[in-house]
Amino acid sequence: MSTFKRKRGGKAPGDNKAKKARFIGNASSAPEDEQEKKNEISVPAPVSKGKWTNKERVLIFSSRGINFRTRHLMQDLRTMMPHSKADTKMDRKDKLFVINEVCEIKNCNKCLFFEAKKKQDLYMWISNSPHGPSAKFLVQNIHTLAELKMTGNCLKGSRPLLSFDPKFDKEPHYALLKELFIQTFSTPHYHPKSQPFVDHVFTFTIADNRIWFRNYQIIEEDASLVEIGPRFVLNLIKIFQGSFVGPTLYENPFFLSPNMHRRQIRLATAARLREKQIVKELQSIKKSEAKDDVVRDVTADVFRTPAEEKPVHIETEPPEPKAVKKNKHKAFKRQRMQMARK
Amino acid sequence: HHHHHHNHNHNHNHNHNNCTKKWRLFFTRIYYLFQLQEAFAKGLLKPGMNILVNEPKKHVNNVEGLKHCLANFRKGLPWVERLDVTNPPAADVVAQAEGKLPTADNRDVNADDDFQREMFFYRQAQATVLEALPLLNKAGVATKRPEDYFAEMAKSDQQMQKIRKKLIAKQTILEKSEKAKKLREQRKFGKKVQIEVIQKRQKEKRAMMTAVKKYQKGMTDKLDFLEGDQKTAQGSSQANKKALNKKGPNAKRKYKDQKFGFGGKKSGKKWNTKESHNDVSSFRAKVAHGKGGPGGKKGKGGKHNKRPGKSVRKKMKSRS
Repeated sequence: MSTFKRKRGGKAPGDNKAKKARFIGNASSAPEDEQEKKNEISVPAPVSKGKWTNKERVLIFSSRGINFRTRHLMQDLRTMMPHSKADTKMDRKDKLFVINEVCEIKNCNKCLFFEAKKKQDLYMWISNSPHGPSAKFLVQNIHTLAELKMTGNCLKGSRPLLSFDPKFDKEPHYALLKELFIQTFSTPHYHPKSQPFVDHVFTFTIADNRIWFRNYQIIEEDASLVEIGPRFVLNLIKIFQGSFVGPTLYENPFFLSPNMHRRQIRLATAARLREKQIVKELQSIKKSEAKDDVVRDVTADVFRTPAEEKPVHIETEPPEPKAVKKNKHKAFKRQRMQMARK
Repeated sequence: HHHHHHNHNHNHNHNHNNCTKKWRLFFTRIYYLFQLQEAFAKGLLKPGMNILVNEPKKHVNNVEGLKHCLANFRKGLPWVERLDVTNPPAADVVAQAEGKLPTADNRDVNADDDFQREMFFYRQAQATVLEALPLLNKAGVATKRPEDYFAEMAKSDQQMQKIRKKLIAKQTILEKSEKAKKLREQRKFGKKVQIEVIQKRQKEKRAMMTAVKKYQKGMTDKLDFLEGDQKTAQGSSQANKKALNKKGPNAKRKYKDQKFGFGGKKSGKKWNTKESHNDVSSFRAKVAHGKGGPGGKKGKGGKHNKRPGKSVRKKMKSRS
């Protein structure tokens, strides 16, 4: 992140190369534009000039012990959100309310904090820094920007459209989460690092009691979209009244902690094995049991056909020899055929 | 003793503030034990095994608190700042076309069916875009990037190149497999045709042989089989032969025949064929009619040889 201080309403020193554009439609800079059009020099657009009022800043950082995927996800979120700031990794020994102080130092009023446990499970905290509500999620199914299947691309720092499922309006906890997402993820209008075009859309959908996040690029005006990434799934754990502290406002009854989940799987496999063993034992017991003798043959009358009995005739004398008929006076085949034709 | 008790109390208070889960469990268990003792004393518990049944865990759902919090937290920003749209997904054109339209009420998407789920998200995004673009145009926010606007993109050019390469590779692999499949099919078909033709020929041969044998043995005295064969051969196998001969022998076969067939290529082609018979390029009119000899012929004196004799020819040959 650049460390120079940006003047309000002025051009940042590096911006001349970054943006070469003829900015359309800003009335205050119209006379300048005309001059520049004559000179045919493209000048960066003075985006803010006192118009940036929504001073929303998000602090995105993590605890120690995260893996590469989480790190990339954080970087991707920082790329997508120009109103974000980065910070160094927080030691896990510190209590969570220290984060509020960090936010204050960095002058941020929102925070996205990623916490990794057991090098396997990733938890995400999203909170409104000084007083506001906060929520803890379990993050699953992370796919980052770098995946080659996500073929879309967007301007770095362009403002996103936010799309919400109507289910967000039905429950009070979802409504609160919706407001939190809106304030955190939407880039402020006329933010100095933002681009003036809207070319991508974030979607938040509720399915299977989880929140699914997707990011699509808008290619055509007729709403043909391509996915840019990143994508992840949030499983709500708890909503707190304060920022990282405070009474619990909502607890998700459908949430199953990853430890419990793994335990369930292990128990299931153990139960299955035990069942197999029991069945085997039963079978061996059955085999070794004393069996009753079978008196009646069940298949005895399968082939019994209802025919009347023939009288048994015993031959006392040998049968007569058969008379051999050898017609030696038959014509040859050839002659026979000739004659037949004639 | 008393003093000691005091101390214990003090510690107890301290512990409660920084209570870890273990201590909490311990205290709850002691509390339950105490309750059991009380109940037994009162005679509420029956003799026998009393199993402690955990009451179902109550999940906090402080609706009032949530609403209150939301009311405080909400910022009354204009839509242009937020750019949020809440909408159900757009109509699924593909499913409608196939007739697999789910009931309009059932909005729940099956999270396990990957394709359906992703299409659900896609359509939700589409509906948002369709709804939001006119609003954006009204608010004066640009959505289309002009052609000459070059700015940093979220994914670097290198990344996009990688993606493109991967897509192209996938495409070529698909095409190759398609071609290979078609070739295999063709070969199989060709083989089938070949086998059929061979079998047919064998059948005909067999029929012919039996007919001949019959005639030899005198069973039939008609020689129909000769003509019959010709007729049928001309009629049907022509078509077949034509079809086969179109492909003809392989190019490889042709080359090999040319190179090694009939004992191999001779150094020159000295065959008495139609072409060679009609070839009159080596005809020398002067030599043939004896024109322009050394001062003309001596009338019809000696036999002026247009063609020198064998020994002379031999000498000429050995000389050149």
